[in-house]
Amino acid sequence: MNTIEIDHLSKRYGAQRAVDDLSLTVPEGSVCGLLGPNGAGKSTTFKCLLGLARPTSGTIRIGGAPLSAATFETLAYVPERSALMDWLTVADHFAIVKRTNARFDEKRAAELAATFKLDAQKKLGRLSKGQQTAVALALAFSIRPTVLVLDEPASGLDPIFQRVVLDLIVDAAAGGATILFSSHQIGQVERAVDRVAILAGGKLVLAGNVDDLKGSEKVVEAIFASDAPALYEFANDARVRRVAQNGRIVRVYARTDPAGIAKALEAYAPKTVDIVDLGLEDIFLGAVGDAPYAASIGVA
Amino acid sequence: MPAIFSIDPRSGVPIYLQLIEQIKRAVALGTLEASEQLPTVKALAIDLTVNPNTVARAYRELERDGVIETSPGRGSFVRADAGGEQSRRAADDIAADLIAQAVRQARALGLTRPDVNALVERALKRWFGPGDNA
Repeated sequence: MNTIEIDHLSKRYGAQRAVDDLSLTVPEGSVCGLLGPNGAGKSTTFKCLLGLARPTSGTIRIGGAPLSAATFETLAYVPERSALMDWLTVADHFAIVKRTNARFDEKRAAELAATFKLDAQKKLGRLSKGQQTAVALALAFSIRPTVLVLDEPASGLDPIFQRVVLDLIVDAAAGGATILFSSHQIGQVERAVDRVAILAGGKLVLAGNVDDLKGSEKVVEAIFASDAPALYEFANDARVRRVAQNGRIVRVYARTDPAGIAKALEAYAPKTVDIVDLGLEDIFLGAVGDAPYAASIGVA
Repeated sequence: MPAIFSIDPRSGVPIYLQLIEQIKRAVALGTLEASEQLPTVKALAIDLTVNPNTVARAYRELERDGVIETSPGRGSFVRADAGGEQSRRAADDIAADLIAQAVRQARALGLTRPDVNALVERALKRWFGPGDNA
């Protein structure tokens, strides 16, 4: 049982609600991508998950139990900002994990160090940000964790090492690990995860299986001969998540009934109307950018 | 073997459906032969850098569709009877999708029905030769 369960989590800093009533479960063996614009509450969620911040309300359970010292024997995490010690060498860091964690796997650690081309004798303070991230990742995976919590695990890494990180995540998932990770690079998240959770303003705005979301979320795209008309009827239409208008092209993000929306658009006599599948990036933008259309055409 | 599969994670088409389509296509074309063993879920996931649950889902659906069979402990195999009717249908599906896509795009470019018809006729003539039922 390596489930991550976040139940009605809220974290306030003064009047500011950094995380607002977030409930999210990552089942055993699943990889969940946590997405959201800056300030959406991702890092605060991670801090609460790791016991680095005390939730204002709500509960967190990992492997069915509240956080305890035992949780951290099988849980590995990589924080957004490296928590490594500048004055110690790479080898020192491995030695510390070896001393403090019984699951430390020497052979695996050596493989990881080689994969990331780490120089064991270098002090952390002398490494680039990307190399420091690589050290943090190598340490995290060296204990063959069953639960992994990764905050921007590929930040500062070049495209080759970014792919290495994804390979490590997929490999750990294939071994049954449960993984929650955040990333700004949606294209990167897309292949390694089976679930996503999208945060905005501290709230969960969309969550689910990525392939199911891709299969259900559609955009209706209409191209007009000249500038597209203002589509007042969609401003308060419950079927419509969002409308994006760019010159002659209108894209209507459908919550439901794309065929009905396409029919309604036909009435404006566009040149073409198409129902298009949405990639994760479009789904993300649709979920995060809800509702500015009504204001833009003067219907509040 | 994995070189024959490639997925586009950024596409709006769910990854498990991309995999299903490609495996069906490989069987239809004979790239994957009857009774041939497929990579394990884990191996294919690692090879394509794709979530293992996503690969498992594709295999489950392929099994349900009668394209592959999985026996516990031995792995997944293309079904022995997958060459016949099964792959004929897969080939039909694949071709239908490609033609639908081409027609949709031609329409989006502003072509009329007779325009598209003429283009299709021309393509048919080119690849099947002249004559009515070639």
